Amino acid sequence: MTIAEVETTGTTRPAQRLSPLQWTRRHLFRTWYDALITAGFGALFAWTLVGVVRFLITADYTILRLNLALFMLGSFPRSQLHRPAGALLLIALAVGLAAGALSAQRRDIAAVMGLPYRSGRMREVVRRFWPALLLVVIFLALTETITPTLLAVGAAALGFAGTWVGKRLPVKARKVSWAFLLVLPLAVYFILAGLGGVGWRGWGGLHLNLFLTFAGILLAFPLGLLLALGRRSSLPAVRTLSVAYVEFIRGVPLITLLLMGAFALGLFLPSGLAPGIVTRVLIAITLFESAYIAEVVRGGLQAVPRGQVEAAQALGLSPWKIMRLIVLPQALRATIPAMVGQFISLYKDTTLVGVVGLPEVLSVGQDVNTQPQFLAQGLERLTLPFAGLIFWVGSYTMSREARRLERKLGVGER
Amino acid sequence: MTNAGALADATHAKGDEIIILEGVDKYFGDFQALRNINMRVGRQEVVVVIGPSGGGKSTLIRCINRLEKHDRGRVVIDGIELTDDIKNIQEVRRETGMVFQQFNLFPHVTVLENVTLAPRQVRRMPKKEAEELAMAMLARVKIPEQARKYPGQLSGGQQQRVAIARALAMQPKVLLFDEPTSALDPEMIKEVLDVMEELAATGITMIVVTHEMGFARAVADRVVFMADGEIVEVGTPEHFFTSPEEARTRQFLAQIL
Repeated sequence: MTIAEVETTGTTRPAQRLSPLQWTRRHLFRTWYDALITAGFGALFAWTLVGVVRFLITADYTILRLNLALFMLGSFPRSQLHRPAGALLLIALAVGLAAGALSAQRRDIAAVMGLPYRSGRMREVVRRFWPALLLVVIFLALTETITPTLLAVGAAALGFAGTWVGKRLPVKARKVSWAFLLVLPLAVYFILAGLGGVGWRGWGGLHLNLFLTFAGILLAFPLGLLLALGRRSSLPAVRTLSVAYVEFIRGVPLITLLLMGAFALGLFLPSGLAPGIVTRVLIAITLFESAYIAEVVRGGLQAVPRGQVEAAQALGLSPWKIMRLIVLPQALRATIPAMVGQFISLYKDTTLVGVVGLPEVLSVGQDVNTQPQFLAQGLERLTLPFAGLIFWVGSYTMSREARRLERKLGVGER
Repeated sequence: MTNAGALADATHAKGDEIIILEGVDKYFGDFQALRNINMRVGRQEVVVVIGPSGGGKSTLIRCINRLEKHDRGRVVIDGIELTDDIKNIQEVRRETGMVFQQFNLFPHVTVLENVTLAPRQVRRMPKKEAEELAMAMLARVKIPEQARKYPGQLSGGQQQRVAIARALAMQPKVLLFDEPTSALDPEMIKEVLDVMEELAATGITMIVVTHEMGFARAVADRVVFMADGEIVEVGTPEHFFTSPEEARTRQFLAQIL
């Protein structure tokens, strides 16, 4: 018998496929106490499931139905609802364009590298974004009029149209479509508040949480990047300042900064000069978040091997180009998991602005219970899980998409 | 001094000199990595540096493109003295290519982009021209067909050849090799050494730190033996491998041959 034969026979084991019955017996009822534990937990699980289902079926959703607009938009002036509707359509179009451009980009790369490429199918979109789609369906089921459904259909149509166009954009226009995503929060702000609009008045509900999250990320990211680089600077003053800032902010709870932004900032500034409450809160969130992003980026910078810098130095690249072209791209890639974790916690932390009186989703979930017709009926058992569901959908989607991105970028890894 | 003759030999180089090291010392903390290094390398010369690990070989060539800063003495490359002046350093780095033991390719960009990066960013070459140059260099190291792949998709030998192409794309006057085959599986060493041998024949100045004695014997114009941070002996390959003068050299050769 040759060595090759030994190896072959060693690796080909008879396939062991268990029938469901065998599997159950082996894993759940192996011994009498296994059986006992299985039965016990099975009963507990069934009891919980029945309870939840019965609750969901018998619950009276009037409180959600009547207050859905409050959950979504806070007390945004109802005469101005065309503004958020317009913003939503713009977002759908921009996201569609960017997704289409990205898909075309990947198709081109795959073609160059001779890899197979499947364009994103409807089924895959559903599989990736089912929590968000489910939430939309729940929202629409709770609405009283047909308008929101029409709006959702319109947004979906614009999204698909955007994707269609995005896939056919010339290569140079692709970058523009991505840059569009970056200025989107600003555009949304203008649609909602500018153009003779309502300013910050009445901002609240989910759209406030989302706005604070995205605007917070976009503002805090560059600042955090600068702080991380500052921490590595060869100039002692810059380094000390960066370290001091990061360590100070990280030692203070976000709620302190929010309270200071809301109540103390006005005392330092001449009256009339202090910006609106949402701006102040956004500043506090940005200052807070940038310190954490700085630490995440620092971890990524440390993960780039020294040899990378040396190779770039040996080629004659300037320090700035080494940072921009060699170190940062690799460092930021390494930080994706931590960065997304940070973004998820920011999303959830936006509930804290309720403390300074801004009506974000969670506060709405509590406040609606003080309405006369729902007073003291324990309806928090409905409104708080509803608010929780809204957050879960966003967080879970972000986390899944981050994992996908990580796998995708893995192509270029060593 | 017993090795005065050898040192005199070390300072002798054919043609005009492109690399001059005079009395170079280098410390890492209290540890002295280089002791009074005097060495001159002429244009088109191939110098192979050998010696035991920790003997200062890598430190020596890293001082030539200022990846390490020397603490005493003079380092002059093609008429430019390496000082704290960042301009001089950048100029020297543009003229010297380096190939590392661990390849150090940029993993986040394609092979082609690895090679075009420096010509485009440092020499400000237009994209098309840089890509043509890069493809020519990749052809020279015999892997033009891998241009669109990422470094992680290549074998070690292929990666090291890309690293050579990347260094060549800057059209340097001097190529520094820091143990280019030490991280390779045995079956891939030859493909890299073959490329290096062809390069040597084109007349580019090369300083090669290696443990490949066959390469030293076949390709080197001069062999430099370093130990304990000193240049112990310098000579032609025939002289060096057949009748070494220093006891430390003989001891080293006895261990590895």
